[in-house]
Amino acid sequence: MNDSHSIPSTGDHTPGTGDHAVVVTRVSDTEWHAMDGDQVVGCGDASVRPDGRLFVGIDAWHGEVFARVAEAMTADLPAPLYAVADETDRDSVSAWQRAGFTTVRREWGYVVPTDPQVTGLGPVRPPAGVVVVPVGQAEEAPLRALDQVLHAEIEAGPGWQAMPAQVLPCPAGTTVVDPSKYAVARQAGRYVGLLRLAPLTRQPRIGLIAVRADLQRHGIARALLADTLDALHRRGTASVWAEVTESNAAATALFEGIGARRAGSTLEFVRR
Amino acid sequence: MTKTANGIEVEGIVVECLRNANFKVELPNGHTVLAHISGKVRRNHIKILPQDRVLVELSPYDLSRGRIRFRYRS
Repeated sequence: MNDSHSIPSTGDHTPGTGDHAVVVTRVSDTEWHAMDGDQVVGCGDASVRPDGRLFVGIDAWHGEVFARVAEAMTADLPAPLYAVADETDRDSVSAWQRAGFTTVRREWGYVVPTDPQVTGLGPVRPPAGVVVVPVGQAEEAPLRALDQVLHAEIEAGPGWQAMPAQVLPCPAGTTVVDPSKYAVARQAGRYVGLLRLAPLTRQPRIGLIAVRADLQRHGIARALLADTLDALHRRGTASVWAEVTESNAAATALFEGIGARRAGSTLEFVRR
Repeated sequence: MTKTANGIEVEGIVVECLRNANFKVELPNGHTVLAHISGKVRRNHIKILPQDRVLVELSPYDLSRGRIRFRYRS
């Protein structure tokens, strides 16, 4: 904490958890501290995602401290504010709700098997004229070209705020930061679909699957999944992790159709 | 173990993922704490799994409770 940059927030005090009152102070443009004496007993931070939305997070050891930090942050920051919480974390969920946040979206977390015997993807082949280029073999230039096409389609349509995929902070116009993490579908010399895989040691994570709008519903995403999961299975990886927005019926059906199991859910909140 | 403005921080190994978004984390001294995920870890979609090495901030009110502030890559 840098006191020299402290800016009194609301100046309010609230009964502390011990003998002291808790004082919430804005310590930087993006950070708030709740102090009980000289002890930090809660903190909040704010960050702007590349899609422009302002997300806040609060860590506090007691519900009343959480509420005081939330009150200070919502007074200091412009609406709308967004936040996320694990749905099974009832304390966090109710704390956000008490602070005036309402649920706008749910993401299911899936454990996706890789074994073709389980997924049923063994016989799946790409549609005629489409070739799957495995993870690590995509060429950078056509991958970036596809990425820009997909971005334009998403921004013209549902927008990134409806996407469960991480919106990665990187140079304007592209989210591709490491081409070696992508499998792609190639058709007539151009890339038409991609799958981003974060190769985490214990459980890789599928960060994004996307296909050009004019070629969706042709089985390209399924073929990308089949190829990628099979390669992981042959290397001894039993499962991967993926997140899907509940309202995305096509993606939900795709994952549940290959035996993916719901293993968690994240709620996204907004305070307008 | 490090004393910071936020309290006591210590590295540990995740030994169990519990159903209510909590984790059992074993500390180098052999003690086990019940920890939840910090807001930043949650917002960044960082998945915590058994055997992950993590940085835990211990509660100043209850040293058997903690908050996972960081997951190390290896």
